[in-house]
Amino acid sequence: MTSGYPMRDGEIEALVVDRYLETLLSRAPLGPDDGVVATGRGVALANASVDIPADLRATAERLVRDLPRYHPSFRFEEHLAARLAVAAASLAGDRPEGALIVFPAPVVGDRAVDDRLPAVRPVVLGGVLTSAALSIAGAAWVAWRRTRAPADPMTRAARAIARARAV
Amino acid sequence: MEAARADPAAFDALYRKYLAQVYNYAVYELGDHHEAEDATERTFLSALSGLARFQERARPDDGAGASTFRIWLFRIARNVVAERRRTRRRRPEAPLELAAASVDPADVEATVVRREAAATAWQAVDRLTGDRRRAVMLRFVHELSTAEIAAVLGRSEGAVRVLIHRGLRRVAGDLRPDGVDRDGPRGDRA
Repeated sequence: MTSGYPMRDGEIEALVVDRYLETLLSRAPLGPDDGVVATGRGVALANASVDIPADLRATAERLVRDLPRYHPSFRFEEHLAARLAVAAASLAGDRPEGALIVFPAPVVGDRAVDDRLPAVRPVVLGGVLTSAALSIAGAAWVAWRRTRAPADPMTRAARAIARARAV
Repeated sequence: MEAARADPAAFDALYRKYLAQVYNYAVYELGDHHEAEDATERTFLSALSGLARFQERARPDDGAGASTFRIWLFRIARNVVAERRRTRRRRPEAPLELAAASVDPADVEATVVRREAAATAWQAVDRLTGDRRRAVMLRFVHELSTAEIAAVLGRSEGAVRVLIHRGLRRVAGDLRPDGVDRDGPRGDRA
């Protein structure tokens, strides 16, 4: 066995064992190149025979054969699948199409203001509402209500009185 | 992988593919089915919420379908398991009563033999410590490649090869009828 750069015996043995394990775990038959190991530095260990001590071979085969693999119960699998589906839906819900409410609200019917709408920073409402978002939404709603034409005669009268008092 | 990133609902396919591996890892690390279920749940929930941060490291010359997602998932599982261990007093003994799940009522004798073989192998592996034990488990039970184990454990491939080689020699010594160990004192030198 030769090597292009110095390796300690333990590392060479470890390389050869690693190659053997790769074959064992892949269940592939040993080929003519087994034992020839290319490293990341382009160095090859030439003429290496597959020289694994018998007890290491037996132990490796025993570990592969005897150590059991566990699978969760079907009940747990489905429970977690359902929980992940809810979490995934929640994640998807973080970026829904939100309703745009312009703030400050334009005066209804004022075309000059309406034309400026795209330049006004929007507040996106939707998905997760934080307390800050709710506060901004509340302010936007009040601003919109104040500029909105009164819906009924009583409201119009009440607002007219309020305006008269303020002046 | 990309589908899951674009649409979290597609995460289910990744979950089904890797569930058994993550659960298996947790069982071997924690030695308890209930704790393993809890760790598995935390692992996948954490992976789902962090999916946008996952960076694919596989290159085109790694082959079609190559992905580093499993490495990323095992790293999450490793952190979850470490957290679980910190919050409990001690690690229980070998969990190999779990092998009873595979009892074949038609051949009880063979089942007993299999269970004893599994228990003996497990005990020998479980005597290893630290990353030497983890490397052996990841190689033989979970069948990760050396490169994958190196990425999961945060070590070089050379160090992992040596960990596994020494671990295997240690286990071989323990499994020998005379119990003679030719690997010197125990430890995690790599």
